[in-house]
Amino acid sequence: MSKRIIIRTTLVAVLILIGIFLYTIGKEHKVLIDNKDISVGNVICSASTTYVVRVDDQEIGVIKKGERNVAMVTGTSHKIVVEEIKGNVLTGEKHEKRFKLKTSESATINIPAMINNANEWIDKTN
Amino acid sequence: MKKNIQNIIENFGLPRIIIFLFLVLLFILTPFVGIRFDTSINDVIVRFGMNGILVLSLIPMVKTGCGLNFGLQLGIIAGILGAVTSIEMNTTGFTGFFTAIGIAIFFAFVFGSLYGFLLNKVKGDEMVVATYVGFSSVSFMSIMWLVLPFKSPNMIWAYGGSGLRTTINTKGYWFHVLTDFLQIKVGSHIVFPTGTILFFALLTFLVWAFFRTKIGIAMTVVGSNTDYAKSCGINVDKMRSISVILSTVIAAIGIIVYQESFGFIQLYTAPLFMAFPAVAALLLGGATVGKASIKNVIIGVFLFQSILTMTPSVINNVIKSDMSETIRIIVSNGMIVYALTRITRVRT
Amino acid sequence: MIKKSLTKTMNPGVRFLINYAVPIIFVILVAFAIPLSGLSGLYFIRELMLRLSRNSFLILSLLIPVMAGMGMNFGIVLGAMAGELGLVFIMDWRIIGMPGLLLAILISTPIAVLLGYFAGIILNRAKGREMVTGFMLAFFMNGIYQLFVLYGMGNIIPISNSSILLPRGYGIRNSISLLGIRQVLDKLIPLKVGDILIPVATLLVVAALCIFIVWFRKTKLGQDMRTVGQDNEVARVSGINVEKTRILSIVISTVLACYGQILFLQNIGTMNTYQSHEQVGVFAIAALLVGGASVAKANIPNVFIGVILFHTMFVVSPRAGKALMGQAQLGEYFRVFVSYGVIAFSLALYAWRKRVEKENERKKIMNYRKSILAK
Repeated sequence: MSKRIIIRTTLVAVLILIGIFLYTIGKEHKVLIDNKDISVGNVICSASTTYVVRVDDQEIGVIKKGERNVAMVTGTSHKIVVEEIKGNVLTGEKHEKRFKLKTSESATINIPAMINNANEWIDKTN
Repeated sequence: MKKNIQNIIENFGLPRIIIFLFLVLLFILTPFVGIRFDTSINDVIVRFGMNGILVLSLIPMVKTGCGLNFGLQLGIIAGILGAVTSIEMNTTGFTGFFTAIGIAIFFAFVFGSLYGFLLNKVKGDEMVVATYVGFSSVSFMSIMWLVLPFKSPNMIWAYGGSGLRTTINTKGYWFHVLTDFLQIKVGSHIVFPTGTILFFALLTFLVWAFFRTKIGIAMTVVGSNTDYAKSCGINVDKMRSISVILSTVIAAIGIIVYQESFGFIQLYTAPLFMAFPAVAALLLGGATVGKASIKNVIIGVFLFQSILTMTPSVINNVIKSDMSETIRIIVSNGMIVYALTRITRVRT
Repeated sequence: MIKKSLTKTMNPGVRFLINYAVPIIFVILVAFAIPLSGLSGLYFIRELMLRLSRNSFLILSLLIPVMAGMGMNFGIVLGAMAGELGLVFIMDWRIIGMPGLLLAILISTPIAVLLGYFAGIILNRAKGREMVTGFMLAFFMNGIYQLFVLYGMGNIIPISNSSILLPRGYGIRNSISLLGIRQVLDKLIPLKVGDILIPVATLLVVAALCIFIVWFRKTKLGQDMRTVGQDNEVARVSGINVEKTRILSIVISTVLACYGQILFLQNIGTMNTYQSHEQVGVFAIAALLVGGASVAKANIPNVFIGVILFHTMFVVSPRAGKALMGQAQLGEYFRVFVSYGVIAFSLALYAWRKRVEKENERKKIMNYRKSILAK
């Protein structure tokens, strides 16, 4: 009798764990990407050029100076790739950053800050 | 004392008692939520007249053991045909009303005979077959309403379309002929629909009298014990057929009274689910799948219509939202499920 | 004098015609309507492939109760509701993709089990009237579902995703987009034949269910159910807990219907919160009956033949109605009429046959008795 209870409780626990797992890897997050001026500490990182942005495997497209775009990502760990583009040609300047998001978080990424490797390049909110 | 209470609960059924208490609660709440008590009572009485006959029509079939008439729609369609034809013929007032009834009775007779024939072949499974026969016939008639050659401009689609409209106004024809007949005005808020109530009383009396005739008694015997009926020499099938025809005819009259009071004839898919509130009302009044009396009809319609009238007004004012439709679904279908699970019938 | 039952006619041809009256009538109807509608063969194949993958699971869930003698389980509507609740939750929490689908399945399963258990208990108390009761129960639960989803959600049950709520602040919208999980199973294993996308993963799941059902029939539980379906008393005497077995058959069916509805909705990509499950029962049962099943007997071929015939009619009706009478609306009504009509006809036919056979049995026994007494 107690063996049955143990098996059943374990089963339920496993299912709950699976549920939490699915929840975590399946949750959609909103990531805003800005190509705007931002003041970090005392320094102002200005947005000067246009960038082509890619998050995970999604092509977000071109973000001009002063613009904002949005990416919807799923799961916990992500990668953002930003390439400078002048005219319609890639200049070859490329930046890449990885970030993790907890289940209830959404984020705002600032490109100039990211390029300058400032710590505040990403702002996470619940 | 406790045994007595237990007995009462068992006899009436817990759901009925719950509903009755709920109703009392609603009535008590009316003044507190700003609803006039007398308008509510008036509404209930008007709706009683509107729906009473439809519920009355269920009695013959229950009495002969054909079960609850889930195929009520057949009678309703006959009634609609009568109503629509009478408007097509441009008859108004009481003439219009009785023409509608006359034509409806004719169709009801035809439909009822076929329906009765079918039910006799499926003894034991009448209810489920009836449900789907009812549904298919409403769907079939939906096609017919589009196709039949009706010409009256008040009934067909406006811009040169063909086929009947979804709702047809009875205003100008025989709207409220019964309701206004011998109307009694009490104060400024109560208008007693004497005509409708009188008509209901008349039909009730006719049904009551019918079941005291030889045929009526034979039908009741068929319902209680088919074998005994056979041994008495009663033609079971014929009695069942007659009860089905009777039910269908009364239903046809019932829907015309409904339309007269409501003001609209509803076609197409509106009749699809009309059987359920009627059945639920009958069950609420104390009937079972095998037994129904006029008392059940009166109590049932009163309770059911009270719930339908009172709940929206009271609850909407308390919760500030319209739950009436949901509550209606829960109450009416819940009653039917409850009744279906209560009986252990001895089948012959 | 024994009335010669038509079902016991010597002529196997007539017997076949009567037993399979419904599908035969359907084939004739469809054969008539297809050319009328003027739709191309390619269109048909694509539509049929789509509908097969989308609807089969739901219809397959009807098979087990038939085995246990419960007739056509209208309670699959309850399973569909459970599935929809699961989907509402994952939409609220914004879980997308396969994880979303799996999570929906995970959440809705216990709900489906509970609803199935409830339905099973009610149906047990209405022995002999299972189908009407099931039918009314589905309507009743629809009311409870509405109470829950239209009034409870956003109020008592916290919903954080306001895009699925009604403007008034509580209650789920009439129509929710399931974009996050749209066709996520269908496209899992992509296969394109020419122009037609074949939902390989979904079809595999359906095939898995078929195998499960075939296997289930051979298990002890499956055998028990068949015995219960044949004769309650014999089963009871053999030591089978009849009540529990019947409830179990309904629970399994409800859970399968829950998954079936989720599968169905993931293909469509939108959920009509209050309408999606209403017609599920009627259409699934009609399709099964069109495939040649009866209240007492239903097998896997019935499911697929039924889907093909029924859904062809579905696709063809509006166009045929337009061609025939100039009104597509006619086709719509015709569809509904046929669905209900098929059920009415099958049920009536079945009930009639059942009665006639019972009468013959009785008369046989009486004659036997008489002949014994006469000696």
